[in-house]
Amino acid sequence: MMKVKGGDLDKLGLLFERYNRPLFSFFYRLTSESSLSEDLVQSVFERMLKYRSTYSGNGAFTTWMFSIARNAHIDHYRKNKRYNDIEDFDEERIGEAPPEYAEMDERTRRKKLLELALNKLDPEKKEVVILSRYEGLKYTEIAEIQEVSESAVKVRMFRAMKELKDIVNTLSEEYSDE
Amino acid sequence: MNEKYEQLVADYLAGSLDEEGKLRVEQLIANGEIELIEFKAIEQLHDELDVIVTPAPSPDMSTGFYAMLEKEKAASRPFSFSVAEKLKALFAELTMPRLAYACLLLIVGGFIGDQFGRNESKLEELSAEMQDMRQMMMVSMLEGASTTDRIRAVNISAELPVADEKAIQALLFTLNNDKSINVRVQTVEALSRWGDNEMVRQGMVNAITNQDSEVVIIALADAVVSLGLKNSAKELEELLKYKELDINVQQKLQTSIAALL
Repeated sequence: MMKVKGGDLDKLGLLFERYNRPLFSFFYRLTSESSLSEDLVQSVFERMLKYRSTYSGNGAFTTWMFSIARNAHIDHYRKNKRYNDIEDFDEERIGEAPPEYAEMDERTRRKKLLELALNKLDPEKKEVVILSRYEGLKYTEIAEIQEVSESAVKVRMFRAMKELKDIVNTLSEEYSDE
Repeated sequence: MNEKYEQLVADYLAGSLDEEGKLRVEQLIANGEIELIEFKAIEQLHDELDVIVTPAPSPDMSTGFYAMLEKEKAASRPFSFSVAEKLKALFAELTMPRLAYACLLLIVGGFIGDQFGRNESKLEELSAEMQDMRQMMMVSMLEGASTTDRIRAVNISAELPVADEKAIQALLFTLNNDKSINVRVQTVEALSRWGDNEMVRQGMVNAITNQDSEVVIIALADAVVSLGLKNSAKELEELLKYKELDINVQQKLQTSIAALL
């Protein structure tokens, strides 16, 4: 990135080749939309070029990159007025089981439940789970991205996992009764 | 559970606890400070999250990125207002290979002009010499550090009616080793022009499994189909079998294999 900052824009191609998949996965897990995730990846690299002069080289590049990614995601949903709009999980309003749920084998059902549960977490907790569990970032790096303390991230992670467990159990019981 | 214990479990899940930390967790479980059943359920769920996989992005994402990059590069080139600045920029761009190439063309051009008046029969010989020089220049520029120079070198090959072994080797080396996707894609196009040369045909087939970029793989698949290189079907099948590829690229390769067989 320091070479991109110095004017060697071709080097951004190397960064794209290396990080486009992790970024796409990050956005896909947040949005469940392929086309939107691709647009957001493009937006991240545009922002890297636009704000390249602000890159200091201190700390991990991935921390800087995911900070940009997080902002791109927040900006997108602010434009659409949907960020933080996720309602708290309400056991009384679970809704019907997804289509074909009854025909799914045990493994596919479990996967579906996990996906649904992950999507019911609030954005901050969901981000922590994705960045820690899937992108392999350290809590200290996630703390920098979310601009909170490391202990706050750890607490979020624990509570997100506990909530996930509870949501999965509730959904599983409700859907099996249908 | 108090926040300190929550943080400790989070560290446990991330695998960042040392032996002392793990022992502490075990003690807290033994004392009932951390509930064993809940701890085990969370640990299992954390492991289970692996089952949620994501699809691959479409090739359009890569195309869009490189188009954006090219636009940005064009926009960031300095615009010179004065003649002096323009001249300065021109001289700044004159790298040694380019300067040498320009001098060679000047000398050879002058020599041809001179000889043309005296002896027309030497014209063909001189033309062949000029082509040799172009080839030499192309090979030299392909080894340069600048991506732009290497793309220009590949484009010089388009001006050569025939290529000798050394030029083909240089282009094949570029196809297999150049770090720039743009250069490799251009090289596929350049080599395709000499598709009747056996060394080129075999080299392109061999290069298929060396590629890590899906853009280059697609360019190669198109090239081997248009050249009718039936023996490349095996290499394309190997890519499908052993490489993790985007679904659209997989479909493209399957279509190419079907067209070749």
